[in-house]
Formats: sequence, structure tokens, C-alpha cells
Amino acid sequence: MMSNTTMLRTLLLGATIIAGTAGVTALAQVPPADQPPGNGNATVSPGTPTPPTDAFSPPSPNAPQAPGVNAANIPDGPPAEPSEATPMVEQVTANPAHDDWPGYGRDDRATRFSPLDQITPSNVSHLKRAFIYHTGSKPAPGQVNKWAAETTPIKVGDGLYMCSAMNDMMRIDPATGKEVWHFHANEKYDSIPYTAACKAVVYYTSSTVPEGEHCHHRILEATLDERLIEVDSEDGKVCEGFGWHGMVNLMKGMGESVPGFVAETAPPPIVNGAIITNQEILDGQRRWAPSGVIRGYDAETGRFLWAWDVNRPHEHGEPKEGEHYSRGTPNSWAAMIGDNALGLVYVPTGNSAADYYSAMRSPEENKVSSAVVAIDVKTGEPRWVFQTVHKDVWDYDIGSQPTLMDFTKPDGSSVPALIMPTKRGQTFVLDRRTGEPVLPVEERPAPSPGMVPGDTRAPTQPWSVGMPRLGFAPLKEADMWGMSPIDQLYCRLKYRRAHYVGEFTPPSIDKPWLEYPGYNGGSDWGSVAYDEKTGILIANWNNTPMYDQLVSRKKADKLGLMPVDDPNYKPGGGGAEGAGAMAETPYGIVVSPFWDEYTGMMCNRPPYGMITAIDMHTQKVLWQHPLGSARANGPFGLPTHLPLTIGTPNNGGPVITAGGLIFVAATTDNMIHAFDIHTGREVWNDVLPGGGQATPMTYEYKGKQYVAIMAGGHHFMMTPVTDDLVVYALDNVN
Amino acid sequence: MSAFMKPHSAAGWATLLLAVIIILLGLPLLYMGAELAFLGGSLYYVVCGLVVTAAGVLMAMGRPLGGLLYLGACAFTWLWAFWEVGLDGWGLLPRVFGPTILAIGVALCLPVLRRAEHARTTNVREVA
Repeated sequence: MMSNTTMLRTLLLGATIIAGTAGVTALAQVPPADQPPGNGNATVSPGTPTPPTDAFSPPSPNAPQAPGVNAANIPDGPPAEPSEATPMVEQVTANPAHDDWPGYGRDDRATRFSPLDQITPSNVSHLKRAFIYHTGSKPAPGQVNKWAAETTPIKVGDGLYMCSAMNDMMRIDPATGKEVWHFHANEKYDSIPYTAACKAVVYYTSSTVPEGEHCHHRILEATLDERLIEVDSEDGKVCEGFGWHGMVNLMKGMGESVPGFVAETAPPPIVNGAIITNQEILDGQRRWAPSGVIRGYDAETGRFLWAWDVNRPHEHGEPKEGEHYSRGTPNSWAAMIGDNALGLVYVPTGNSAADYYSAMRSPEENKVSSAVVAIDVKTGEPRWVFQTVHKDVWDYDIGSQPTLMDFTKPDGSSVPALIMPTKRGQTFVLDRRTGEPVLPVEERPAPSPGMVPGDTRAPTQPWSVGMPRLGFAPLKEADMWGMSPIDQLYCRLKYRRAHYVGEFTPPSIDKPWLEYPGYNGGSDWGSVAYDEKTGILIANWNNTPMYDQLVSRKKADKLGLMPVDDPNYKPGGGGAEGAGAMAETPYGIVVSPFWDEYTGMMCNRPPYGMITAIDMHTQKVLWQHPLGSARANGPFGLPTHLPLTIGTPNNGGPVITAGGLIFVAATTDNMIHAFDIHTGREVWNDVLPGGGQATPMTYEYKGKQYVAIMAGGHHFMMTPVTDDLVVYALDNVN
Repeated sequence: MSAFMKPHSAAGWATLLLAVIIILLGLPLLYMGAELAFLGGSLYYVVCGLVVTAAGVLMAMGRPLGGLLYLGACAFTWLWAFWEVGLDGWGLLPRVFGPTILAIGVALCLPVLRRAEHARTTNVREVA
């Protein structure tokens, strides 16, 4: 029975179809964003009155840090010298118990593979909701929605542990969802950067606190307001022996900032006793944004160990009084992965601050941006670097967590390898010891020198030619889409009005340029799943181009773009993923999806999201098909209710089980899907209460296998936000 | 205004309405299609926009030729769509779906247009 609203919408939709201005399809839920100003409009002609420029000036990069940026007022103490970590005992993620999912990517290799096999393609139809747990974190009335929890719970023994979007931590009963304890992080709304997210907590077993005592087993998280917090896994009370009353202030040494500029959303790995932290710096704000420094802290005590600071490469201690970590350096926001055997942490890096203008970057920054950097966890010295984009001005920062594997070469020898998915859809396979490619990488000519005075593009870019590409051929005018000839024509015009010479089309000022692949990937933070036994790699990815344009400083001022730490900044005056001031550079940036802004549908033809299975023994695609249906998307933001698999944008990773299944949510149809790994056939799905923009996980408890997905939604993907963790189990198993 | 048809029935009004819709759809095709052609893009839209607009005007004048012109444009559109995207369903959708729905309407209106033309020629004869 259709509701009245649904009926009205269906009628409206029907009417538009008849009128020929609309059609059946479904689309990309991409958010409203400022449109690029277009041909000749990115500058302001001389003599035009413009607002006074002093309103758009950020504070001095050397200004002292204001009180309150250290959110919990944690006493800092004097700058620390480098030191070494307390030796670590083996952690639960090294050899996970059969029933457990003890880490974000399940194990030390981030395989997202579970040996559980109770649920199989033949009984998956019996999968029903076992319980829903509410984290309690969602937007209050009147708050701008910046939520996307992105959380994957972990399960160790009798406990399911997770964090809420605003960093509360909790332990819940794995069978009933009953809350055992709840740690309140007391985070302020102002501390939310681009997104309120907490991907996972980390389980840590102490080497100094004996078994049975408080804080022998601990739950660790890194927060949006830049704290490390450790609590006891049994009672959720802070570990007094860690930092200052269980907390470490990560804003120490960061210099001038404001709440929300610097944040942590990924679980920090613990490698040989060192907690490694990275941080997300809000994109597009200013050239001298806070530092992208990578730091190590002792997992036992919270003591500072070392820093890797790109423009202070050989100083591994904390900055002296009145100094700060080098500003504007490439920030890393993806989940990192450690390697206890080699004593390394693999850091997927992003871009220097002011993503779309590279002329002011140092040679040191140019070497390590949009790269994988292997850092020695004892000293903070980088051991090797593999760059995935040279002089990135496309926001191709790496969002994915690397996955570790043993790669068997044709001669039968085994190489400790690392799989690095990227937003470009190029998946690099590297030797973990050296960073050398295991599968061939070619440097291919790229458009250069570019169109921005004094900012030349790199003449070549790396292509992982040994791996199937998670992407399609360059766009042609005939790839433009719509519901009718008219909106298709509008998109063809947008295509022709922009610069586009294929991948790596350089940024331009005179008119917009097409960025394809877009900054949502290819592969984004969902990462990949890998079954070591069969050698099958599963990746879900996006196909969503962007439409961007650089604007002159005066035009940026006119558009009201100012950095987040400008005293005149108002929320909405330039976001991380839309228009950005890029203060302290000659240009601002306007970024939008490549879409028809009137219908809200993407300009390129579907699919917008895909899922691919690759045999890593042969590097051949086993199967590949569109991911996500048209049911919740459509023109003018109306759901079509059509069960057509069109392939929607997706954020959140896949999970593989020994039962022969893949579980993935991620799509904007608000569904969780199960696929038969051998055929790629969708064998089960369920409509979630909110958007499933998170990676699911699975665990067994008291003989029953469960599948959990955070249906937290995603503000940017425009999916409904909830605080619901939805957990499934077979209804015919007791 | 005497050039345009004066509907006396529901079918007549429906035909006139359809003609107006076709004109309203043809004009943006013509205008944006001209810009696209100028920018080096496909020539289909400007040509099609011209034909469809003319077809709509003729239909509004009660001329069966308008309806036939529209049906011709639609048939040509199918051929062009096959040439551009082959048998790809998602690709065909924006190109032929709406125009074909309209074509069905136009086909249904052909008898009305024939009657209108017949009436007009009779009137003309009477006046003469």
C-alpha cells in the first residue's frame, strides 16, 4: 500500500516522464554545492567593487594556539625528546580467535576476511535482524548535519566494542545489544571537522599491567578533538596510567588552530608498542594549515615517542616552546596499518594544504604527498616512499587502508607485499620491505605543463598496469546522460564548456575542468577485502567525476570564501569538499560533482558504483558489476522505488567470509547486500534504517554467527542519518 | 492568430496542448543545440530542435504534416541513438524514451489533425 506522499511523488514522476523532461532513472545522491562560475567568470574585472580583503585573512601561521583548542585542557608539560616504546606483548589482532573480529580490518593485515562459515549462500535468506543498538550520537534539532559515523565495531571474547560518531566508547553484549558500559567523551559540536566519524576503536593488551588488574585489556580511540583516550575493557573507566587521566593531547605542538580544523577519525594502529597517529586537516582552507605530522606515542603510558614532520625531516622530538610542527604539510587521514615484523607503519598520505595549487610546496612535500610512506616505528625515520600521484592537484589523497598479503611470484618465491588502493582506481602492489612495485608500474605521460601560471604539472604519472583498473575509459560527449534529450543536452554542453583531456586534466581558471576519476574514487576509505586462501580480492568503488574551477583571490573573496580559522568565518562559508578559500595562495577553488544541478543527477551515464572481484594469483577480474539499486535515488532527490541495479556511489568497505559470502552496504540505496563470492550474484539484501556508509563486520558468539553494520548514514552522500547499529543472525539457528 | 487551430473538442485541445509541449521542448533543443554545435559537439540537437519546433508549430496550425514531421524526427532519433550507443539500455533511455512517449501521443493526434485540415480546406473553399 503506497502512502499519499509516495503516490503523489509517483504521479509527479509519471507526469514528468510524459512531458519528456524526466525519466525513470536514479541517481547519484550528491549534495548541493556551489557551481563553478564558468567561462570567464573566475576573475573579477578591475574596478569592480569587492569586499575588503582584510576580512578574508587568516591569523598568522605563527600565532600561538588559543585556549580551548586543547579540548580537555590537558597539561602539556615541556617539549619531549624522542624515546622508545615499552615493549609490547602479542596483541589479539596478530592471530584473531576464530569467533572474533578484534580490529578495524579484523587482523594485523586488514584483510576484512573472517573464517566464519555458518552463514552461506544457501541459508543467507534466513538472515534476520537480531538487534539494533543505538549509540546516541546524531544531530540535535537545529544542528547542521555533519554526521557519518562510518563505524565498524570490534569483537573480542564476550564484548562488542565501538565508538559513536562523536567518540563515546561503549561495550555491548554481542548476543543482545545490551549496553555493558558507556564512556562519555563529552565532545563539542564545534570539534566536528568535515564529518563526525569514528571508524573504530583499538583493543590493546598491556605488557606492564598484570592480567586481572584494571587496564590490563584496554580500549583505545583517537578523537575528533585530537585526544588519545584509553579505557579499561571491562568497566569503561579511563586508564589512569595512560597520559593525563587516560588522555593525551594531540594538539600539543600543532600551533595555531581552531576546533574542527584538525581531527582524527581513523583507528590508530599499535606497532611494537607504539600508537601511531595521523590526522585529517580540513581541506581547502589555507596554505599554512596545521601540520600533517605523523607521531608515535607509547601504548602503555601515552608518552611521546617521535614525530615525522615533513619539513623538519630529521627532528623527531616535539617542537621547542613557541615553535610548532611544519605547517601545510601533507596530511594523512586514512586508516594506517602496522607491520610488527618489519617494525614499520605504512602511512597512506594525502596532499599538502591548498589541494588544488602546488606552486608553494617544498621539494620534501612533493616527495611524500599522495604516497605510501613506510616509517620506522622505533625512530620516526621514513624507510621508503611510493608515490601514487606526482604533484597532486586533484585531491587524490589516499583514503584507503593498505591491506597486507604474501605475494607469490611466478618463480614461486614469496614477497611480503602491501596492496594500496587509490582514488584513481589504480591499485598498487608493493614490496613491504622496500616499497618497490611487485606488479609492474609504468610512468606514463600526463598533461603538462598545465594552465596555471608558475604551477607546472608533472610530465608523467604512475599507472599500476599489472592490476585491473577500478575505473572506466575517459569520458566522451556521448557518455553524457539524463532523463530526457534536454537534460542530456545540458550535460553535453557542460562537458564541452570545460577543459578535459582525460585523466590528470590540469586545473584551470578561464573555465571549469573535468576531474575524472573524481575525489570520491575509485577506492575511498572503505578499502578492500582479501581472502588469503583463495587469493580473491574484493573492491567496491565509485565512478563519479567532478567539475572544478580555480577562481582568483578577489573572486574567492566575492564568493565569501574564507578559511575556518578566519575570525569572520561562518559555518557554510566554504566547506572541505565544496568551495574552498585556499587562503595564502593566489586562488580559491570551487568543486562540484559533475552533475545537472537542476535535477541533481550525475552528468555521466551509470553505473556510479561498482564491485569487482580480482584473482590475485593471476590479477584477472573474476567478475565485476554495478553495485546499488535505484530504489532510494532519483531525479529531484525523489526515490524511484525501482529495484533496478543501476550502480550508486558508495562509501564503506566489503567483508569476505569463509562461508563464501561478501557483505557490503556502502551504497546510497541504504541497503546491505550479500554476494556469492564465486559468482558475484546478489543472494540477500535488507533495507537499513539509515545509510550504510560503513564497513560491516561479522563475529560468532555462543555458536551463532552475527553480521553487524552501522547504519549511520552520510551527510555528503545525502543518506538518512541514524545512530543505529544493525546486527543480523540466522533465524533458524539457536 | 487565424493560422492556429481552434479546438472544438477535448481531442482538439489535447492536440493543441501536445503541440505547445513539443514547441517548448524543441526550442531549448534548438538553442542549446546551437551552442553545442558551436563548441564542436554533436550536430544532432540543433537539427532535431529545428525540426521538432517546426513540427510543433505545424501541429498547432492543425497541419498533419507537423505530426508526420515529429514522427519522422523520432524515427531518425532512434537511428541516431543506435548509431551513438548501440543497444545499450541505459544509453538509449535519455535519447529515445521521452521522445517515443510523445510520438505515441502525436500518432494518436493524427486523426484530429487530419480533421482540422479537412475542416480548414472546406472553410477555405466556402470562403472562396
